[in-house]
Amino acid sequence: MSQPNIGEELRKAQVEPLLPIEKKLIGWSLGIGLALLVVLAIVNHLFPASV
Amino acid sequence: MSTATWSGATPRRADNVELAPRISEDWLSLIIGLFIFVLALAGIANLDLLGWVVTTSVWSDASKALGTVSKSYASLGGFGALVATYAALLVVLSAAAVALKSDIKKFALAFTAVFWIAYASWIVGNFANFAAVTPAELQKFGISWSLKLTNEGAYIFALVAGLLIANVFPRFAEAIKDAVRPELYIKIAIVILGGFFAVTAAGKLSLASTLLLRGVAAIIEAYLIYWAVVYFVARKWFGFNREWAAPLASGISICGVSAAIATGGAIRARPMIPVLVSSLVVVFAVVEVLVLPFLAQTFLAHEPLVAGAWMGLAIKTDGAAVAGGAITESLILAKNAAEGIKYQPGWILGTAATIKVFIDIFIGIWAFVLGYIWTNHINRTSDKASLREIWQRFPKFVIGFLVTFAVGLYLALATPAGIAAKVPAAMGEANTLRVVFFILTFFSIGVLSNFKKLWQEGIGRLAAVYVVSLFGFVIWVGLLISWLFFSGVKPPLAS
Repeated sequence: MSQPNIGEELRKAQVEPLLPIEKKLIGWSLGIGLALLVVLAIVNHLFPASV
Repeated sequence: MSTATWSGATPRRADNVELAPRISEDWLSLIIGLFIFVLALAGIANLDLLGWVVTTSVWSDASKALGTVSKSYASLGGFGALVATYAALLVVLSAAAVALKSDIKKFALAFTAVFWIAYASWIVGNFANFAAVTPAELQKFGISWSLKLTNEGAYIFALVAGLLIANVFPRFAEAIKDAVRPELYIKIAIVILGGFFAVTAAGKLSLASTLLLRGVAAIIEAYLIYWAVVYFVARKWFGFNREWAAPLASGISICGVSAAIATGGAIRARPMIPVLVSSLVVVFAVVEVLVLPFLAQTFLAHEPLVAGAWMGLAIKTDGAAVAGGAITESLILAKNAAEGIKYQPGWILGTAATIKVFIDIFIGIWAFVLGYIWTNHINRTSDKASLREIWQRFPKFVIGFLVTFAVGLYLALATPAGIAAKVPAAMGEANTLRVVFFILTFFSIGVLSNFKKLWQEGIGRLAAVYVVSLFGFVIWVGLLISWLFFSGVKPPLAS
C-alpha cells in the first residue's frame, strides 16, 4: 500500500477561517477548564488529601 | 480503540483485499490479560501455575541474572525459565495472531526475534554497573561505580535496541513488524496491573480513593484546557484546516494515537489523516520517555505522585505513558532510598496508569462531543454522531483493568485472612509477566520510531505544531495540574 504524501495533502488542504461555532467550542472549553481549575484548587486547599 | 498505526501489517488476501480480523486487538488484550490474571489467582488455591515465569535480578555474574519467579520451579533454572516464558507467550500470542488474521508463521518468526532481542536488552540493562543504586549494592557486586539506572531503567535498553533497529536496520524492522504491537502488549500489561494495583491500594484504601478522585479531576482539566489551546494554535497560528487540526489537537493534547484516530472518525475525516498524525505522535512519545522521567527524578523526587501524574498527563500514547511511569517510579524510589526514605513501590506507576486509563475512558465521550458539533454544525451530514459511538470507541481493555482491580481488592479486603494473605504473592507472579509485556512494549515502541519520518516532505509544519504545543504548553500545564492535585500526597512508606 503506498503511503500518502503529507506535503501533497497539506498543499491540497484549503484555508478555512475559524467559524463562530469553533470559536464557541474553544472559548467554552477553555473557560470551563480554567473556572474548574480555580474551583478545584480551592476545594483541594480546603480539603487536603488524607495521607 | 483503533490501533491502526501501531499494529503490524494489515492482513491481506493474495488478491490484495484486506481481511477483517475476527476480533479487535482491544478485546484480545482484555481476554489475554484476564487469562493471566485467572492463572495467577490459582495460587490462592495453592496451585502455582505461573511460578515458571522468568525474572531478572541485577547481576555482575551472568549465570545469576535469571531465575524463576517461584522457588517451586527453581529446578528449571534461569535459562529454562526464559525458554518456558518465550514458549508460553509464543503460543498465546500466536493464537491472538490467528484471531487477528495475521500469517501465523510470519508472526511466530517475528515474535521470536522481538522476544529474544527485547529480553536480551533487558538483561544487559540489569548489569550491575548500569543498574545498582545503593552503596550496599555496589559493595555486594564488588564495583566502584554505577549509572544507577535501577533494574527498571533497563526498559530504556529495550527501547534503544528498538530505536537502533528502526533507524539503522529498517529492513529488519520491516521483517519483524508482524510482532511489533506495542498497543497489544501494553493493554495486556495494564489489565494485569489492575490486580497488582489493587493489592497495593488495599494497604492504604483512603489514599487510593483520593488518587482516583484527583486523577479524574486532573484529566477533565487536561481535556478542557489542552484541547482548546492546541486546536487554536493549529488553526490560527499554523493555518491547518479543520480536518487536520482536530485529530492533531487530540493526538497532541489527549492520548496520542487512539485519540487522533477516535477524533478523525468522529469528525468524519479521511482515515489517512489520523494515521499520519499518529506516526508523529509515536516519535515524540519516545523523546518524552527518554527525557521526562529523568527530569522528574531531578526535580520531583520529593513529590513522587506529582511525578506519576505528570507522566500520565504529559506523555502521549498508552504504552509510552505507562512505561514512563514505570521508569519514573524506579528512578524516584532509588533516589529516595539513597536518602534513607523507602517508599512502597507501585504507587507512582499506579498513578500514571490510572490517569492514562481515565483519559482513555474519556476519549469516547470527547470524540462524541466533537462528532456532534461537526455533524450538526460544521459539516452538516445525514451521518450524524450517535451516542452508540461512545461505546464503540470505549477502550475495552479498560474493562479488564477495572475487573482485575475490583476482584483483587475484594480478595485482599473481604475474604478470610488465610485467603487474603495469599493474594499479594499471586498478583506478584502475574506482575512478573506484566514486566515481560512492558519489555516487549518498550522494544516495539522503539522499532516503530523511525526518525527519518521527520524529514519527510511536509511533516515540518505538523512537527512544528507538535513541538510548540507539547514543549511550550502541554508538558508544563500537565505539571501544573499534577502539582495542584497531587503535591503533598506521598506514597506510604515500605514496612
